Amino acid sequence: MSDVQLYLLEANANNKTGALEIAARTATKLQQRTLKLIDLVTSLEPHINDKDNGSIRANSVAYLADVIAALPLKVLSMQERRLLCDFILGRLEGDTEGVGASARALLALEALGKWDSSTAQKVLRTFVNNTHPLRQFKLQTERYAVVQLIDLLLAKYRDAMRELHDEDHEFMSGFISYWEGEKDPRNLMIIFSLLQVPMTEWDVHAHAQDLFDSVFNYFPITFKPPPDDPYGITSQDLKNRLRDCIAAISDFAPYAFPQLLDKLDSTSMNTKRDVLQALQACIADYEAKTINLYSVTLWDALKFEVLNVQEEDLAEEALKALALIAAKFSDYGEGPLNAYLRPVIKECNEHLEDAPTKQSEAAGRILHALVGSAPQAADKVSKGILPVLFALYNGSESITKRRGLLEALNQITAAHVKLTEQHPGTDCRALQTFAGDAVDAMIRALISAPKSEVSFRMASLTGVAQLVSVPGVLSDKQIDQAVDTVTNLVLHEQLQGHGDIRTPAIQALSSMALNVPQTVRDRSVPAFMVELPDVLEGNSVPAAVLEAFAQLASERQIFETVVLRLKNKLRSARHQAASRAYQRALLFAILYAFTFGSPARDDGVIRSAYYADYAEPLASDFVKDVSSETDLVAADVVGRISNIILRSQSVHFQSTMYHKNLEWLSPGEDAADTAKQRAEHVTPFLLYYYAAMRPGVVDAAEVVGLLKQQAVSALSVGNSSQASATTLRLVSLLVNKFANPKTMQAILAETGLEVDTLTRDGSSPQAVQAAFAVTKGLLVQGKSGALTTRYLQSLLSLLSTSDSTTAHHFTTLLVPDEILSKENHCLISGLYKQKLFNQAIPLLTAAIRTATPLQKPAYLIALSGLLRHLPYSILSPSLATLTPPLLQTLDLTSTSDITSPAAADQAVKTSALIIFESALMHDPSLLAEHTSSLVTRLLNSTASPTNGASVRAKALQCLALVPRQLKREAVVPYRRQVVRRLLACLDDGRRSVRGEAVRCRTAWLGLDEGGEEED
Amino acid sequence: MEADKDNVNPTIINPSDLPSRRRSAPTAKRAGLFDALAPAYPSLADGLSSPEASSSEPSSDEEPEEIDEQEVYDLISTISDPEHPLSLGSLGVVKLEDIAILPPTSARSRISTVTVLVTPTTSACSLTTVIGLGVKVRLVNALPPRFRVDVRIKPGTSSTAGEVNKQLGDKERVAAAMENKSLVNVVNNMLATCE
Repeated sequence: MSDVQLYLLEANANNKTGALEIAARTATKLQQRTLKLIDLVTSLEPHINDKDNGSIRANSVAYLADVIAALPLKVLSMQERRLLCDFILGRLEGDTEGVGASARALLALEALGKWDSSTAQKVLRTFVNNTHPLRQFKLQTERYAVVQLIDLLLAKYRDAMRELHDEDHEFMSGFISYWEGEKDPRNLMIIFSLLQVPMTEWDVHAHAQDLFDSVFNYFPITFKPPPDDPYGITSQDLKNRLRDCIAAISDFAPYAFPQLLDKLDSTSMNTKRDVLQALQACIADYEAKTINLYSVTLWDALKFEVLNVQEEDLAEEALKALALIAAKFSDYGEGPLNAYLRPVIKECNEHLEDAPTKQSEAAGRILHALVGSAPQAADKVSKGILPVLFALYNGSESITKRRGLLEALNQITAAHVKLTEQHPGTDCRALQTFAGDAVDAMIRALISAPKSEVSFRMASLTGVAQLVSVPGVLSDKQIDQAVDTVTNLVLHEQLQGHGDIRTPAIQALSSMALNVPQTVRDRSVPAFMVELPDVLEGNSVPAAVLEAFAQLASERQIFETVVLRLKNKLRSARHQAASRAYQRALLFAILYAFTFGSPARDDGVIRSAYYADYAEPLASDFVKDVSSETDLVAADVVGRISNIILRSQSVHFQSTMYHKNLEWLSPGEDAADTAKQRAEHVTPFLLYYYAAMRPGVVDAAEVVGLLKQQAVSALSVGNSSQASATTLRLVSLLVNKFANPKTMQAILAETGLEVDTLTRDGSSPQAVQAAFAVTKGLLVQGKSGALTTRYLQSLLSLLSTSDSTTAHHFTTLLVPDEILSKENHCLISGLYKQKLFNQAIPLLTAAIRTATPLQKPAYLIALSGLLRHLPYSILSPSLATLTPPLLQTLDLTSTSDITSPAAADQAVKTSALIIFESALMHDPSLLAEHTSSLVTRLLNSTASPTNGASVRAKALQCLALVPRQLKREAVVPYRRQVVRRLLACLDDGRRSVRGEAVRCRTAWLGLDEGGEEED
Repeated sequence: MEADKDNVNPTIINPSDLPSRRRSAPTAKRAGLFDALAPAYPSLADGLSSPEASSSEPSSDEEPEEIDEQEVYDLISTISDPEHPLSLGSLGVVKLEDIAILPPTSARSRISTVTVLVTPTTSACSLTTVIGLGVKVRLVNALPPRFRVDVRIKPGTSSTAGEVNKQLGDKERVAAAMENKSLVNVVNNMLATCE
């Protein structure tokens, strides 16, 4: 049998790979010259002309296409290629069977050698003339090949294709209707893209309507990709391409705008969304001259989307479109811009007349969009609106009305702020004309309007801050006044809670510090200093003033001024023996400034000079000087300030500082008592100081010494809880960061911190705590896996005999500690939480199953404690095994063990409830089998007084998720019971719990819409 | 599309002028900015004093918080108007001063009464009944059973006040209204924005 017969057999049996192999074999023969092209074509003859069977004819062409595709370059001569091309095209004229294969064959031929213009033209003409319309071919793959071929022609043979159109005026209409009725997204993606060539490069003015209609027929795209669509075409892809077509040339405008605006009245929000985006594209891409013809029509249609908001995003898009029109005209000429803005200004002025209404608010948004679009528009809008706005303002006594007008003004000013950032040097003269009056009115409002007019004063405050931010619209004197007024608000307004204007005033002052730093420095800072005396009577602290002052440090421009003033204030307060509370507050303010403010940075690293300027003097005042009254808090705060400055410095800088400081940091030769007192005093500082150090800076021997010292302190009895907490954190830090993993066990043994020893029977509570601290350091480090595992098991074995206090310690292993962080150069294993989970949780769940009722609470508490700080993603795979013990956790009653404080038991329950909440959100199906016990236990957890308010609220939140997340039929049986029992929660003593109860009950009532509404 | 609204362009109250609990109850103790900076002693010393365990409920159940007018206001002010995507509070349809809680009439009774007066945006607002119904349904569902809910139209603000008050006061008619599918849908849509 000949190759073609074999191919036809395989093709008939739908064996694609088999068929391709045969074609490849033929190609090899051609290449080796054992087969001549002429013989190949002759062998095709009986099949390609088969009178009775179309599919044989089609497959014969497919064979030819596959053979050509398998040929390498240069096997066929140019003449042979032309011959084949003519052969295929000649066939098409008489028989369109195998049109897809023909297109593939031509694509393959073209890949073997470029065509000349006339061939390319002939190919396109043959297809358009003989296979018109394309939709007659039912198979998408066939059409797809044709689409690809024509796409190639339009991409590579642009001039030749354009000639076709230039020479034959009939051609275009045939070409346009050729695609009619195509529905497949894969084909459409290419058609939309290839149509852009004639649209943008050919003279299609006469065909604009047909061409436009041919693509607009697809608007709006409603295509939804099937699930698991292998082609990955989204409806957004199609929308984008279609939009590019619609916006391709200005000639479309007479058809595009009326039809798009017509569709803007659609009731479908998605259609409106598409329309608005298409309009934006048209406005951006069409010529200004064209837009000019439609600008007022567009305004008349688009304004409704803003005046009567249906969906917020639609309003935003409409505003964008309105702004684009204004921007389009900004370089085009006065006339069109005026013509467009005139009706806008007129209508906005009308809406402002009855401010504050929904529509005056909308007018404000429109003005904001237009002013922000371009300097020219900003100028014209301001000139048109501001005189009217101020006439209205002065003509009304109503504060409500004035507030509405100010809000509109603020929109205009805010747009100016944006505009001057984008186009520095923008002329804001129109705004400037009224800025003086505006700022005077607002300052008056801030000073003398009744405090209860919250929104009026807020609007004034915003306005003042914004006007200061537009360069050049206010005189120096007005800026001074504005800064004074806002400073005054910050210093003297006392109202808390609702109507609090201080918080926004502080923000306003910071934002003004960005634009007029010198004025703030000259006027506000001294005013603050007046409120901060060196010494205060009694124990009162001007906390509000200090807080506000520290917040100003968030502005880079005045950071230095703020911290310097704070430091000097602290020094004089200290010299004059001010109260400890005041000194602390000043320290806190400095810490706040360094933590949340904007200190200077060199190459992204905080400036090292701050160490000598701030950290060292503070340390020598509050830490070094042991003779002073011990203040652990001060040592802690100074430690943190040093930490922030020091931790990102280079090894060289750190090491220099460290050796300079070592002298007073290391324990001296004092008597035992002083040494102990000194250690306790310095430890909080040491904790942060060592946290800041890079690992290479500190010598190993020093670490051992330090650990030894801390071990002694950790194991001694009678320390305050703060002191021992600090010591234990330092132990964790040192173990994690400085101890070499290889010698870890030796170091621990040498320093008396071996966990096995610490947890031996009858060990003291201090020893157990130290054991947890060491294990935590190792666990987070993740370098000594075997050792950590052994220690963890020692700790777990404590549970079988111990009371709940030890069990509660388990949560400390995972509790996040800011000191153990990458910023502090600690070793943080990426997987330590998973590791701990995998090692400890199976043991615990197994133990819970076999534990005696007396032992069980300890295990449950430990489990819940460990889970508390685990991300949900880690524990969700094990949810099935965790659910039963967690449900039991909810049954724990604090009365069973009076030694542990109730708060801890509440935390255990809260932790379980939070897990249930996440599980209900993410994996409700896993909880389905426990629905009954879950609902009962959640209901029980809402009862007071055995459950704290936060547990009750959390339980109600979980319970509210049950009807939403679980299957309807699974929860409906509980509806009656839940709705009834929730009545009691509606009368809960705590307001927050009642709020949750209302939400929860609404969720359950919603289960049975339309049925019995009340019980 | 706009023409069928009774009041196309209602006045809107700025959110910061709406009554809220934060104004009515100036908190005695304020959380200072620096409190978060004060040294916390988490973890190891005693896991028992870890922040979330202790901070959330300072004096928890000792001092009960009574249900007051503000709480009732918060329950109903977030209901949305059937015509505008705006809340009843911001439209001034429900006002704090038009809510009254009357204590039990006798020492033996536990039943308190909540009276809410509703102000329609225009005197001819045809949706007044629906708004009243929404308020009533919300309160009946959200208040404990020891409260009797009385929703009425504020005198002199609606041309149909008498008729509407009769409907809202009649238990049977309210129940019958809630059998009406389309009415239930309208009410549910109004309540959907409630927190």
